[in-house]
Amino acid sequence: MAYKEIDSVLSPGNYYFSGNTAAAEGAIAAGCRYYAGYPITPSSEIMERISIRFPEVNGAFIQMEDEIASICSVIGASWAGAKAMTATSGPGFSLMQEAIGYAALTETPMVIMDVQRAGPGTGQATRVGSGDLMQAKWGSHGDYQPIALSPWSVQEMYDLSIEAFNLAEQYRTPVFLMADEAIGHLMERMDVKPGLRIYGRFKQADLPPFGMDQDDGVPPMPAFGEVQRLLVTGSTHNEWGIRKTDDGSIHAKLVERINNKVFNNREKIILTEELYLDDAEVVVVAYGFTARSAVFAIDQIREEGCRAGLLRLKTIWPFADHYIEKIGRSARCIFVPEMNRGQIKGEVMKYAGCEVASYNQTDGEIIHPETIIQELRRLF
Amino acid sequence: MARDLEQYLRPEVKSTPFCPGCGHGILMNLLLRAVDDLKIDMKNTVFVSGIGCAAWIPSPNFNADTLHTLHGRALAFATGVKVFNPKLNVMVVSGDGDLTSIGGNHLIHAARRNLDITVICANNMIYGMTGGQAASTSPLGALTATTARGNIYRPFDLCELVKGAGAAYVARYSVTQPVALMEALKEAFSIEAFSFVEVLSPCPTQFGRRNSYDSAVDMIKMLQGNCISREEAALLSGEELKDKIITGVFWNEKG
Amino acid sequence: MKKVSQIRIAGFGGQGVVLIGTILGHAAVRDGNWVSGSNAYGAQARGGSARSEVVIAREPVRFPHVMKADMLIVMSQGAYDQSVSDLSRQNAVVIYDDLLIRPEDLPDAIQYPVPATDTALKTFENNQVANVIILGAAASITQIVSLEALESAVAENVSDRFKEQNLKALRTGYDMGEKILSGRE
Repeated sequence: MAYKEIDSVLSPGNYYFSGNTAAAEGAIAAGCRYYAGYPITPSSEIMERISIRFPEVNGAFIQMEDEIASICSVIGASWAGAKAMTATSGPGFSLMQEAIGYAALTETPMVIMDVQRAGPGTGQATRVGSGDLMQAKWGSHGDYQPIALSPWSVQEMYDLSIEAFNLAEQYRTPVFLMADEAIGHLMERMDVKPGLRIYGRFKQADLPPFGMDQDDGVPPMPAFGEVQRLLVTGSTHNEWGIRKTDDGSIHAKLVERINNKVFNNREKIILTEELYLDDAEVVVVAYGFTARSAVFAIDQIREEGCRAGLLRLKTIWPFADHYIEKIGRSARCIFVPEMNRGQIKGEVMKYAGCEVASYNQTDGEIIHPETIIQELRRLF
Repeated sequence: MARDLEQYLRPEVKSTPFCPGCGHGILMNLLLRAVDDLKIDMKNTVFVSGIGCAAWIPSPNFNADTLHTLHGRALAFATGVKVFNPKLNVMVVSGDGDLTSIGGNHLIHAARRNLDITVICANNMIYGMTGGQAASTSPLGALTATTARGNIYRPFDLCELVKGAGAAYVARYSVTQPVALMEALKEAFSIEAFSFVEVLSPCPTQFGRRNSYDSAVDMIKMLQGNCISREEAALLSGEELKDKIITGVFWNEKG
Repeated sequence: MKKVSQIRIAGFGGQGVVLIGTILGHAAVRDGNWVSGSNAYGAQARGGSARSEVVIAREPVRFPHVMKADMLIVMSQGAYDQSVSDLSRQNAVVIYDDLLIRPEDLPDAIQYPVPATDTALKTFENNQVANVIILGAAASITQIVSLEALESAVAENVSDRFKEQNLKALRTGYDMGEKILSGRE
């Protein structure tokens, strides 16, 4: 199976949507037809939009009793053949972690949208943060390789939502759309193009659904009711899904494969955007709403004669290690502004090989362009 | 397992994982006999289970789609399967700890939604797989790995709980009442709404040996003696009912 | 029109500040612009402060929030007092509700009083349409969006029950803006 071109679901044209609405529309465009969720600020508009739109596209929507039930039912629906999703914010994302590990081990495609708010704890429910990125990476026990995307605009809430479903299906793994409150609630012009590139689920009944023999490490995934006796278990299993909890070598091979199928394909998965990197002395590495402030700041400071540039991470996980290594060789300093206490800065430091500076703000407000300008001035 | 039911088992399955004297094998047999009697299409049936001994009844044994899920969440997974593809028969087979303690919230909400899911709850009154700790179904005074001086909390009445939450069919039988139990299973499978069958199943390994039922036979005899019908129960006083387990059909929407 | 216009709409909760921000944003997209909008309001659903921001540009918007407002549409004294300090220094336009606000002397700004709440009460016997009246007036005074685009944005964002009245209020405001402008010339 591969990508195919289809018509967009919304009529082509320009819309004025909130980020959350755009994410819901992106999911529908990508073919998502099962949604289960539980209300939580600031993500609820995604669920509300889906609940209105699904009857028009023959989708199945259900409001569950909590976030654990939501994600578990999404896994069930995915095995019943659905492109499926849930959306939440920090506290709900925390509740989902055990099931995320189950989905990683059972290789269940699904999309989880986390519209991040200021944590930890209940924190500031209506305010912005991006403190869930390491949770997206390491939240469930054991080793797996998550895919996490970070949209910086309403347009990307739509585009990366589609991308998230494509990646989930292509790599048979949970994919996170790590939005933040400022993007979720932002309203912007969003352009819908006539055609879409959509990945259809790879199905082949005679091949084992957890097998090792595919080049990209991703076996086919039939649905319940299609072939008899599909066996899905969160315990270690062989290529046909039979529980093998006593054989260490089977466990090792399985864990290795589910990690490698993402990690070894990371050059194909990772999306970035670069600005002024040719001559940049100081490179800002930013993502999400903060990258909007960074772009504005960089343009301003270049007018002052300071050669700053930008690497914007659209993909947070797998991490853009090679990009950082490359920048580390040409730039004097990398600057990482974040609405957390330095979660991505730590990753940058692993690969940069040059000075890494940061600015961390966790007051529930966005990082203003003026703040970044001031911080950058100190680095020149 | 009777030979004529082998068609419902995966060919690669050679034995069940249950301890000697465990009631789950009897339940497995009766469940498949009910499937056979009703000519249920296994190709179109998904068995969903959680974590625990009873969750191993369908997985990996049954020759159908099986979804062996997280501890407590079987009904949440089953909801996703059923809501997305209502043409599939969805049956949940799991234990008392899984369905009613860690999964209690999902149980009452699934009953409230009244989706066409059949739930078979094997109740051995203890956490078997993890080594005999107290369950939300352990009787008052029961000795377990975590209640060395006797359980001080009352057990759930699961049938009343699920009935109150809105299920369409609710019954309780013991594996020592095989004929009535199989009829209840068949009725539950036939009803196109949320149906719940609680099945008392002896656990000599964890419950019996701690509570003076020294052999599997003693445990079976205890259930035989204590499980009485609703009609029998109506004739007994409160004191006489103290150790009794009342069995029967507690609710059937169809009347 | 300027390359980028930064518009702030402010008042108290319940006046429909967020709604006209959304309508303005929709209309500006209809006219072929790039638009970013965001809202801020207090915890109460009614009576607290409410603010809506819209950035309208001829090309994709870089930073989506208002930094210095070129235009302020304001419907309460509290919001006026808070917002005038954040105006652009270059010919900012302030459009305010003349019944609810006593203006200060602002040397860098051009201020237009609009009898929005007054007209809403007297002509429509419904102060809930004051927001759409002041938006209509702002549109004709500044030409930031076309009347046609505004009309279709109102139709899209207002429930059927109130559509007719809101469209009428919008045109009333628009005409009012034209009269205010010609009065100045």
